Amino acid sequence: MAEISVRMGELATSSDPRTGLVSIGLGSCIGLALVDASARVAGLAHVMLPGPTPAGSSRPPGTFADTGVQALLEAVLAAGARRMCLSAVIVGGAQMFGSAGKMQVGQRNEEAVRAAIRAVRIPIVAAETGGGSGRTIRVYLDDIRVTSRAAGGAEQILLGAMAVAA
Amino acid sequence: MRTNYTEIELDALRELANIGAGTAATSLSGLLGIPIDVDVPTAAAMPLADAIDATGPAELCVTGVAIPLDGDLAGSALMLFPEEDVATLCGLLGLEPDSEYAASALGEVVNILCASYLGALSDMTGLQIELGPPEQVFDMLGAIMGSILAMSAGASDVALMLDSALIIEGQACSLSFLLIPSADGVDGLLAQLGLG
Repeated sequence: MAEISVRMGELATSSDPRTGLVSIGLGSCIGLALVDASARVAGLAHVMLPGPTPAGSSRPPGTFADTGVQALLEAVLAAGARRMCLSAVIVGGAQMFGSAGKMQVGQRNEEAVRAAIRAVRIPIVAAETGGGSGRTIRVYLDDIRVTSRAAGGAEQILLGAMAVAA
Repeated sequence: MRTNYTEIELDALRELANIGAGTAATSLSGLLGIPIDVDVPTAAAMPLADAIDATGPAELCVTGVAIPLDGDLAGSALMLFPEEDVATLCGLLGLEPDSEYAASALGEVVNILCASYLGALSDMTGLQIELGPPEQVFDMLGAIMGSILAMSAGASDVALMLDSALIIEGQACSLSFLLIPSADGVDGLLAQLGLG
């Protein structure tokens, strides 16, 4: 199965069962998946910073939480997802450095992404966030599955076909 | 907002990195008791996502030791050690790679290299650079780089990285020392070199 690699600040969608989406190595970044299981359309954004987005920003569309969530939502709708059928899964937001409390980018990223998703009224059905380890998020389009995997750990299913159909 | 640097500016930064790395190599050589060579450093400004790719495969698990920089030069110094390099270094230091001493020894090696590298930079530029305590993680390269870049991210999507290779003679081991100044930090460095 082919995979689209969604790098830091980027976002992508897929409606092709043979093409998954992946963000490898999320540290303080957040991987946000928006999934319409019945239309079999999903999108993934690799959010880097909480924002707010500076005016006139020319940075990649998924960079900031506020504009990133909006841009991803528009992209999955354009790819054929229906607004009312969307579920969100978030992965990442670890605190790998700066244990002294400085910055806390990971935690602020998670809060900002959650707030932005709440603002567009999409349910967050699963989350694997915080802690001190990096993670990889994968979205499989063949059986509509979202997984998270920490460095050296096992792949964990956060959203599966059965759970979504229910 | 800076999004690119001229070739003259990059050359000047490369020269700084060269002198910093040379001083660090002398320290490492003294520590390990064997000769250390320095490769020509690279200085490149690129979009953040490309900067991560430039350091290696995002899923590769490595030991990363980061030292936060503050004062007149904000940013991070970072060394990334694939597993085999941890083993080589520990071997040269007479330590078992999995022992409790190995982790702290690795942190101390980075601390010493960073102090000599940035001491040389400080001598040349007159900038006062404060080093934070080393922080060590074992994780995916992408997660380490992404977290470091997010902390020093400025207003633009461009990261400037100075990469110097320290080559341990007689071993298939080349340690990469990365200096990732914040956007303001780069301007400060260039200003001190008369290129601001």
